[in-house]
Amino acid sequence: MTEIRWHSRAGQGAVSGAKGLGDVVATTGKEVQAFALYGSAKRGAALRAYNRIDDEQIFDHAKFMNPDYVLVIDPALAMTDDITMNDKETTKYIITTHLSKEELIEAIPALHDKKDRVYVVDCVQISLDTIKRSMPNSPMLGAFCKVSDMFELDYFLENMKRVLAKFPQKIIDANMEAISRAYNEVN
Amino acid sequence: MAVEFEVNEREVWDGNYAASQALRQADVDVVVAYPITPSTPIVENYGSYVGNGYIDGEFIMVESEHAAMSGCIGASAAGGRVSTATSSQGFALMVEVLYQASGMRLPIVLNVVNRALAAPLNVRGDHADMYLGRDSGWLQASAFNAQEAYDLALCAFRIAENHSVRLPMMVHQDGFITSHTAQNVYPLSNEAAKKFVGVIDPVDDMLDFSRPVTYGAQTEEDWHFEHKAKQHKAIMDSVGVIEDVFAEFKELTGREYKRIETYDMEDADVCVIGLGSTVESARVAAKEMRKEGVKAGVVAIRVFRPFPYEEVREALKGCKSIAVTDRSSPGGAMGAFYNEVAAAMMTSKSRPLVTNYIYGLGGRDLSIENIKTIFKEQQANADAGYITTDIQQFTNLRGPKLGFFKTERN
Amino acid sequence: MSVEQQDLKLKASENRGKSQLEAGFDLLGWDEVTQGSVLPSFDGDASNVAHQKAEEREYSDYNSYTATVASWRVQKPVFNIDVCIDCQNCWVWCPDSSILSRDKQMLGIDYDHCKGCEVCVEVCPTNPKSLLMFNEYTDLGDALASWPEKKKKEKK
Repeated sequence: MTEIRWHSRAGQGAVSGAKGLGDVVATTGKEVQAFALYGSAKRGAALRAYNRIDDEQIFDHAKFMNPDYVLVIDPALAMTDDITMNDKETTKYIITTHLSKEELIEAIPALHDKKDRVYVVDCVQISLDTIKRSMPNSPMLGAFCKVSDMFELDYFLENMKRVLAKFPQKIIDANMEAISRAYNEVN
Repeated sequence: MAVEFEVNEREVWDGNYAASQALRQADVDVVVAYPITPSTPIVENYGSYVGNGYIDGEFIMVESEHAAMSGCIGASAAGGRVSTATSSQGFALMVEVLYQASGMRLPIVLNVVNRALAAPLNVRGDHADMYLGRDSGWLQASAFNAQEAYDLALCAFRIAENHSVRLPMMVHQDGFITSHTAQNVYPLSNEAAKKFVGVIDPVDDMLDFSRPVTYGAQTEEDWHFEHKAKQHKAIMDSVGVIEDVFAEFKELTGREYKRIETYDMEDADVCVIGLGSTVESARVAAKEMRKEGVKAGVVAIRVFRPFPYEEVREALKGCKSIAVTDRSSPGGAMGAFYNEVAAAMMTSKSRPLVTNYIYGLGGRDLSIENIKTIFKEQQANADAGYITTDIQQFTNLRGPKLGFFKTERN
Repeated sequence: MSVEQQDLKLKASENRGKSQLEAGFDLLGWDEVTQGSVLPSFDGDASNVAHQKAEEREYSDYNSYTATVASWRVQKPVFNIDVCIDCQNCWVWCPDSSILSRDKQMLGIDYDHCKGCEVCVEVCPTNPKSLLMFNEYTDLGDALASWPEKKKKEKK
């Protein structure tokens, strides 16, 4: 079982991101779960979204998890939220930031002993450049795609097009560009 | 003519979306609604299916949940296939009218996305609203995940509208944990679903002008008791139809539903019995306990009303200690579900130990570790031969340990 | 008009008020009552019922038409056809639809459903009134024979 925890603010699209990821993963024949802790959350409130991925039907409905991946799509939350809670020795972190990896790790003591498991990408800037507003969820999917090595970029893009089918072509194209850029820029 | 809505063989849907797709495929004639978190998307989506021409139905927005169920009653008495959805405070406001619907034997299907009752205000899942409906004369089925919320909604129309049943039916799913968790769902094709659910064959429909009828008669002490007795008998007798519909559904999809579900119970010494999504987490915990040498099993109530007393007794009679999990604030008593299970086991030959755990109120998480602790306490009871803890305990609660009522059988 | 002639016009259809609502000896058991206490108003096909007169309709046993609910009436209105001007005021006002009228011609009182509330007497505009209250057991002939004379206007 692969478990993913998203750290985000309401409005940044972590819930849609988690569901979109679930949708794409399901096409590979795997069973998925995508859920979030929100409801009465106001825009801007910190929230967590979750994915579980497994070869068999997923029965665990607890919110508690020891994540394999922690995806942080809000730069400030990397500093203020407890992003390493319940982690494992193998947990990988993908963090949105304008800082370099070294600068970021320096700023977050909890990451000091996890240097080789931290990846950074500036999802906010990428989304501003491509989607023309701060929507860091799509780029994060591209970064996850690269770091997890779960699927080929082209496969992922094809399936995301289907997930986004209800949107105008312009928005779909912008999202594809955002995902591709993050895939290439994450380090 | 309606536009065809495309569904794939495999979808990633949350419980709300799954339930709304069932309403679409069942070709529901009328949905009368006053949307409330977390069930809002069910009726919202139905409204969009009507608006976008995917179904030929009526979506009626009203001023309260009381009015919503009242509207459902009118539409159902008129002869239509009728459904709606609600949660929590909305459910509470609907209660008065729920009794009207069941008393008039109207086969309305209500999708209840379970949520705690205020105060304090809370939008997350517990079973307070489900328990509030337990004496209302509705059939109640419990879905543990999005797939089941979809499957059971389809089955509910078949069961409720069957002429020998003619009772309204609730399909429960857990707020957020099921309603907002996207999972793999394998829907029926539109055609197969339509064929399975069929067309409603109304009874005593008010739009039949050749046979005008009175709904909502007044009956005092000389009639009321007989009518309520007949209704109770119908609820008890619905078992056969429920099983038939489940059997037919299995034939069609391969997915099997029973009035109670049992997991790892063949040789179980200890077990957790529960409702809703917790059941699935408990299955994971039981598997882990077995690795640790504890013969743990799980029993789940699929159909809460009519309550499967005999099946529960049969499933649990080999157990030594049973944890009954209630996700509702008991308000000065043992949990209501505990009382049902205790009533069933009181009349068993083996009379196993039965304990009560109050958990998960207001959406409090119940982790695999929490459930394993419950299993371990049951094993301790089984080893001692009596209930070693308070009979009722609150689990995963902050503050000093809270429990009530001790056994006399030690 | 003779008492017999007036009485003849008041004849009800055969099934009106045939059963006592209070009767307890023939109540149905739980297995016999209707599903959902839903009550059909008519026996057989009622498609044409709107075009039928009350006495032509096949009201079912569940319809209040076939039950009498007047056993507790103490005083009854008596109708005098010789004074009535067929204004329909009583028909409009009667809260229990117990004024029998056909083609705007007053026929009499439905004593199976009249509760004796006296509204019809109150609203009758004729002089003397064409509806008056009498004790329940008063014979129709005696009632008509004791009908008051026209009241003269008092000089101011």
